[in-house]
Amino acid sequence: MQETAHAATNVVHHAAAAAEHLTEASGHSITHLMMLLIIQLAVIIIAAKFGGFLFQRYLKMPSVLGELASGMLIGPYALGGMFDIPGIGILFSEHMGFAASAELYGIATLASIILLFLAGLETDLAAFLRYSVVGSFVGLGGLIAAFTLGDLCAVFWPGNGIDRFMDPAALFLGVISVATSVGITARILAEKRKMASPEGVTILAGAVFDDVLGIVTLAIVMGLAKVEMGGGEVNWGAIGWIALKAVGFFVVVTALGLTFARKITGAIKQFRSREMMVSTCFGLALLLAGLAEMAGLAMIIGAYIMGLALSRTDLAHEIEHHLEGVYNILVPIFFCVMGMMVDFSAMKPVLIFGSVYSILAVISKVVGCGVPAYLMKFNLRGSLRIGLGMLPRGEVALIVAGIGLASGIIDQGIFGVSIMMTVITTMLAPPLLVKSFEGGSGLRKEMEGTGEDIEVIELEFPSHDIAEFLLHRFIQALQEEEFFVHNLHTDQPTYRVLKDDIAFTLIQDGDKVVVNVPRANQHVARMILLEELLSLSDLLESTKQMKGLDKMGTDLMQGMFA
Amino acid sequence: MNLKKVLSADTVWVDLKADTKQGIIEEMIDRLVAAGKIKNRSAVLEAVLDREAKMSTGMQNGVAIPHGKTDEIKTLVAAVGLNKAGVDFDAMDGEPCTIFIMTLSPLKRTGPHIQFLAEVSRLISQASDRDRLLACTTHQEIYDLLTGK
Repeated sequence: MQETAHAATNVVHHAAAAAEHLTEASGHSITHLMMLLIIQLAVIIIAAKFGGFLFQRYLKMPSVLGELASGMLIGPYALGGMFDIPGIGILFSEHMGFAASAELYGIATLASIILLFLAGLETDLAAFLRYSVVGSFVGLGGLIAAFTLGDLCAVFWPGNGIDRFMDPAALFLGVISVATSVGITARILAEKRKMASPEGVTILAGAVFDDVLGIVTLAIVMGLAKVEMGGGEVNWGAIGWIALKAVGFFVVVTALGLTFARKITGAIKQFRSREMMVSTCFGLALLLAGLAEMAGLAMIIGAYIMGLALSRTDLAHEIEHHLEGVYNILVPIFFCVMGMMVDFSAMKPVLIFGSVYSILAVISKVVGCGVPAYLMKFNLRGSLRIGLGMLPRGEVALIVAGIGLASGIIDQGIFGVSIMMTVITTMLAPPLLVKSFEGGSGLRKEMEGTGEDIEVIELEFPSHDIAEFLLHRFIQALQEEEFFVHNLHTDQPTYRVLKDDIAFTLIQDGDKVVVNVPRANQHVARMILLEELLSLSDLLESTKQMKGLDKMGTDLMQGMFA
Repeated sequence: MNLKKVLSADTVWVDLKADTKQGIIEEMIDRLVAAGKIKNRSAVLEAVLDREAKMSTGMQNGVAIPHGKTDEIKTLVAAVGLNKAGVDFDAMDGEPCTIFIMTLSPLKRTGPHIQFLAEVSRLISQASDRDRLLACTTHQEIYDLLTGK
């Protein structure tokens, strides 16, 4: 408890000092502070959204990189710290070595909680528990390699004061390089129509394992780091105990959550108001986030677990839908604030270290994910594709780095190094992945024909609207058949459909609905699609029978011009 | 999927007698009534014939998959029957059908219903698999073949 208190005080100290510093410097009231905060938020939101848009539209890069870049540009170490605006002063200034004020950091923290809560909600726990064996080994291999290399890189680098594997900073460098952000890979797989390929299926399954195991690893590392920071002695017995507590917290709370989620949502449903349901669930996520922090872990872990618990309930979709707006506004603020924290002068001495750390982050995933893939059923080409697909780090790496910086476990330099690694891996992945998918099968000879045969079913409709309508009917029918359908949130509506050993993709390409399905599973896709086509013709037939359409129209317009 | 959860030894038949499409559908439903799987015969028959009216479920290479949805059914009812002589089922390829897979489900269904049809279809998608099914001489043999004993 003492160590938790210590780390927590550390953050509060930063925040309070920052607030005090600000009040002293400006001599202004809380109203002034709030005015400054609101103006900061205005600048951040617009800059972040703008940067994200530019990166996505023109550089074909994930918007998170644009948001980061905007933050670097407007932060206290660049433009934000240069100009003294009359009536406001310096817009973004450093407070006690921390680039954001306590208020601003509070909003960024809330954003990170929402992000992880939604990530938990979208996690397919059923797939995690029973889906791909290869995926689990790929996820686990990548995790172990990334964590070990990230940590050892810090240990063996001379002159950084880190000389033990269990040093909190080293542990953090390990855990930061763990979490794969598969969004960008999913987009490329969808564009190249490789989502249903053996490599695509394995990458996406591996990413689910990577997500869940990454959070568990973070829980363990937070536990260890907090004990170390509190000056406690960490021997192997203690490490085992802390790890057990962290994993125990994760497993017990998730199991409790899953057991009671339906009861809780059932009770919440009594209110018969969607806003009440969504807000209550979000409130519970915040509560569990706080409890996780109290238990010596991190707030995002609690938020993720609450999301995971609710992911199996029928409210999951409703919550996601309602929080989308908040997410779109708040999450860019988080990434922008993370960008603002990059102190370029602190980066200079660690640039070479950062480069080596980034290269190791690339190697660790390519090798760590590629080797298990090679040992199971892929050839070198296929294993490389899988390793590269697992390469990009993103949101979670940034959040973890932010936590490390805020709690004083890592310094400005290491924080910069983490951002550098995230940016490099995310930018490297798309071109390498596209290149790697040139050439033939990624399966080993003896495995060929066991799933590589992808059937492309294309249905063309007279209009975009009808294609969209049928796609939604198809998705609904699949869900009724107890398939898991995941929206991949790509520009072109793309869905991944999973059940047991069946996996295929649905894409709406303008007026067309395209299904990429392994030949062995084509029967189910074709038959469900046929039933929906037939129900569509039923529907069209029944609209023809709406004889009073003209009269309905006339009635509707009657009396408008009295 | 595990076909054992859906099929039972008394819903697979090697000896369908009817020689018309309507006859085969009625015979299969009658046998399901006899096996205690269905109560309201006429509602179920109507549902299957409704579906046939939209588009015949006679596929290719002797396979037909008559099915229907009605609220008279509470959970998935499935059956597989053979008529080795072959019956005209308005199949896509115009050939007589010999293998009949039937499913009946509730209107508001949740569960692998079409998937059952698809799974059996997958099992008999190769000519050699169909030959093996048609070579069965007892109900139990079909059951064992489809459930992978």
